[in-house]
Amino acid sequence: MTTFRDDVLPLKDLLYRLALRITLDAVEAEDIVQETLIRVWNKREEFDRIVSIEAFSVTVCRNLALDWIAKKDSQSQSLDESFNNTPDNAYSPLQSLSLNDKKDWVMKLFNQLPEKLKSVMQLRDIEGKSYKEIASVLGITEDQVKVNLFRARQRVRQNFEKIDSFGL
Amino acid sequence: MDYKYIEQLLERYWQCLTSVEEEQILCHFFSQEEVPAHLQRYAPLFACLQQEKKVGLSADFDEKVLARVETEVVHARRNTVRFRLLPLYRAAAVVAIVLGLGFAAQHSFEQNSEEVGVSYNYSDYKDTYSDPQVAYEQVSSALKAMSKGLRDAGLKQLDSTWVKQ
Repeated sequence: MTTFRDDVLPLKDLLYRLALRITLDAVEAEDIVQETLIRVWNKREEFDRIVSIEAFSVTVCRNLALDWIAKKDSQSQSLDESFNNTPDNAYSPLQSLSLNDKKDWVMKLFNQLPEKLKSVMQLRDIEGKSYKEIASVLGITEDQVKVNLFRARQRVRQNFEKIDSFGL
Repeated sequence: MDYKYIEQLLERYWQCLTSVEEEQILCHFFSQEEVPAHLQRYAPLFACLQQEKKVGLSADFDEKVLARVETEVVHARRNTVRFRLLPLYRAAAVVAIVLGLGFAAQHSFEQNSEEVGVSYNYSDYKDTYSDPQVAYEQVSSALKAMSKGLRDAGLKQLDSTWVKQ
């Protein structure tokens, strides 16, 4: 017998991390997770036909997050503009960076990746999912997952090495 | 200490050739305090990944979402309970009517039987004495007693009337 508490609710943190990675907005990510859980639960009649509730939930969550991004992009405010309006003065090249500062940089580089690369890296490096699972959730082939993951890791690595050398 | 294995793992990590388990080994290795200098620069990357694994929702999220899910369930259940009990209400109403009618009928029958007990139909009367002589004496003594009673009562009435005048 499938119950909301035992089978659907425990997915909340995984979904939240993915929604947060895509939207970069904690409040919005929480709303998306809530909406995802309700939608998944409303489909409980079809659980017998769904291979993995988790994979299904991740797909729903990602689609909701992408919808939100698309809606936000279509609104008048441009992301580039808001980014330029708030210059990041936290780090100067001459400062040596502490471990926490470096961690923050890695996070920024990770968050700046295009959505597809970001989602693949999120599901692999943070959630520890197999290529097969990621492929089914994102609706792409395993080879495409590997290519995207490769690009994501390379970008983070190269940009991080640049900042690291520069900072030190 | 030889870090060849870790270096190889790291190189394979960049090439996306590591398994999930090997990636966990790397994360674990870089979360130690003692990381050799030449590998130190990648520590923040794995530290960041480790840190991100712990991100989660606050405790009050459960209450919010459960409130939403359970209201929907309770709403549905309330309807079904009402629908399920509907025939029971009908049955209870029928039973109440039958009992009411039965009680009313029994009550009226009882009244009828009481009326039958005091019958004014002389043909239904039966003899209580076998000897007519005894019956005559009984009746006459009863009548004498009654006339005596009436006479005494009448005299008393007369006395009181006289006294008043």
